[in-house]
Amino acid sequence: MKDMRILERDVDATAIKISARDVQVFYGDNHAIKDVNVEIQDKTVTAFIGPSGCGKSTFLRCLNRMNDTIDVCRVEGDISIDGEDIYDKRVDPVQLRAKVGMVFQKPNPFPKSIYDNVAYGPRIHGLAQSKADLDTIVEKSLRSAAIWDEVKDRLTAPGTGLSGGQQQRLCIARAIATQPEVLLMDEPCSALDPIATAQIEELIDELRQNYSVVIVTHSMQQAARVSQKTAFFHLGNLVEYGETGTIFTNPEDPRTESYITGRIG
Amino acid sequence: MTDASLPSSSENRERVSLMAPDARTQKRKAAERRFRMYGIAGIATGIFFLIVLLVSIVSSGAGAFQQTFITVSVYLDPAKLDKNGNRNLEEISKVSTFGYTPLIQQALFDKVQENGIETPLEKSKDMKALISASAAAQIRDVVISNPDLIGETVDFRILASSRVDGYLKGRVQREDVARDKNIDAEHLDLVDALQPFGIIEKTFNMDFITGADASESRAESAGIGVAMIGSFFMMLVVLVLSLPIGVAASIYLEEFAPKNRWTDLIEVNIANLAAVPSIVFGILGLAVFIQFMHLPQSAPLVGGLVLTLMTLPTIIISTRASLKAVPPSIRDAALGVGASKMQSVFHHVLPLAAPGILTGTIIGLAQALGETAPLLLIGMVGFIASNAPDGIASGLLDPNSAMPAQIYEWAKRADPAFYERAWGGIIILLGFLISMNTIAVILRRRFERRW
Repeated sequence: MKDMRILERDVDATAIKISARDVQVFYGDNHAIKDVNVEIQDKTVTAFIGPSGCGKSTFLRCLNRMNDTIDVCRVEGDISIDGEDIYDKRVDPVQLRAKVGMVFQKPNPFPKSIYDNVAYGPRIHGLAQSKADLDTIVEKSLRSAAIWDEVKDRLTAPGTGLSGGQQQRLCIARAIATQPEVLLMDEPCSALDPIATAQIEELIDELRQNYSVVIVTHSMQQAARVSQKTAFFHLGNLVEYGETGTIFTNPEDPRTESYITGRIG
Repeated sequence: MTDASLPSSSENRERVSLMAPDARTQKRKAAERRFRMYGIAGIATGIFFLIVLLVSIVSSGAGAFQQTFITVSVYLDPAKLDKNGNRNLEEISKVSTFGYTPLIQQALFDKVQENGIETPLEKSKDMKALISASAAAQIRDVVISNPDLIGETVDFRILASSRVDGYLKGRVQREDVARDKNIDAEHLDLVDALQPFGIIEKTFNMDFITGADASESRAESAGIGVAMIGSFFMMLVVLVLSLPIGVAASIYLEEFAPKNRWTDLIEVNIANLAAVPSIVFGILGLAVFIQFMHLPQSAPLVGGLVLTLMTLPTIIISTRASLKAVPPSIRDAALGVGASKMQSVFHHVLPLAAPGILTGTIIGLAQALGETAPLLLIGMVGFIASNAPDGIASGLLDPNSAMPAQIYEWAKRADPAFYERAWGGIIILLGFLISMNTIAVILRRRFERRW
């Protein structure tokens, strides 16, 4: 986090990675997401902020079709990644999720060794031709997740034995081991202490160079620190979406302003 | 924040010393004390009855593990066993056990004379009451397997009759003998006299554990071994069928099936099936497997099928519970890296649920092992008097018995010697159940909570 001067933060606007058009999500009769239109850029950190229950996590889970696992959940509208509709009948969610990695709120490493945690994705997707290949992928992923130095001597130790912050970085390593293009993070720091949070935030900033990162966060400070673009959700609506600097200093919508200044939420 | 509606606490309230508990607190404490007493009383009652049960089982059943044997030197008289003297096996086989009985009686009689024991019993035939009817068969088997022994004097350890055995174990009292046609007071005197010479002695009885059942008149040679093999084959069938079916059904219901009215109905029915009395499964098995499918009666295969039906609900319920206990975050994690539903279940959820599934299976098996009622209905009470391997040649389809059914059979018989054997059988059955449950506990302890 080189600068806290969010107004001057340069957004090197590149290609659009994910675009959502008129997305509606229903949980049974409950209309959870209403008419969301958003365009998420490549090699950018996009933060979703908003009060609890506003639908930001729900929308995030639409982006890799994790909502498919919930029986009563129904998604309408178009979401496309690189111009391809991910809700098309021909799309296999399994393949999609290899391309769109996800990190969850609570660190959830598999109860296996650190090595196996990271190697699992590449194994099931056949990304490694040999053991040496796999070793390389594991090391690379752990290095990119900034945890390699801490675990390189105990790759066979169980992943559940690490501290909370280390576990979360292990989960990030696991998510990037499948070489995704988009990384979704659902409140990745909410279960962590401030020091671990700072480490993860630094990591997110580095990951931006290679991935399009979408992060849901409860903490406005965090959104301000790590993101270039911010989307504010309220009661299932996308209220405002724009550059982080603008949202935090000069929001257009009065609701955004109320939330930013702490009057609602 | 306004709290004007709340009563201001400090003013109206009387100041109470912390040193003296007020009435309300004392009442609460008394209630707690009473509750603890109820708990302790409940546990004490349970332990008391458990001890009574164990003591009565062990004291009644321990006798079955000991048996009275008589050591005799039998002269295998060629004149009786091989009249033509040509050692032809076929001709030797024609001599039935009745041909051997006099030889044994003579041998024991000689032994009595040899040791100078005085007895009013003057004929060798009077020895009959001391010797088990199965002794002749024992010696005949030895002679047939080795005809060269004919003409020699061979030492044998033969079973004493069940009356003699009972006398040594305290089951048969002298007062009872007056009304007993099978044995007289003189016989008991003789038994007393023979004991110091080591001719009659009570030793550990392996044959009870490994042997076959015997007819009503020779309780002394009955064993539970064959029934144990029958139980083993049934458990094999139960394990092979109910584990895969149960686990597959639970995985489908828990992980894949849509949650709708039909799956709810199935769930309720599985829970109900677990509570159905086992004899109902016996009737079902009788109707379906024997009367409709014409599978053989008394076969461990049929017994295993019936017990599978009975065990399935137990396994399904415990498997579903342990699948449910796996945190959903593990499933999310697997799906999140792009595992398919199936991969997430088989690579992550199932290994974590395995200890719970194993525990449930073992407990289900232990339940099935002790089940009697359905076996009676499908005739799993075969009377198999020959030892393994004769009686179990084709295993699953040959008639056999099972341990609990065998115990029930023995308990029904008139001779008190069988009663003792029934208790002995219970000890063995309990031994199996306790060891199975211990394994279940150890497995659970060892593999539980790895996340």
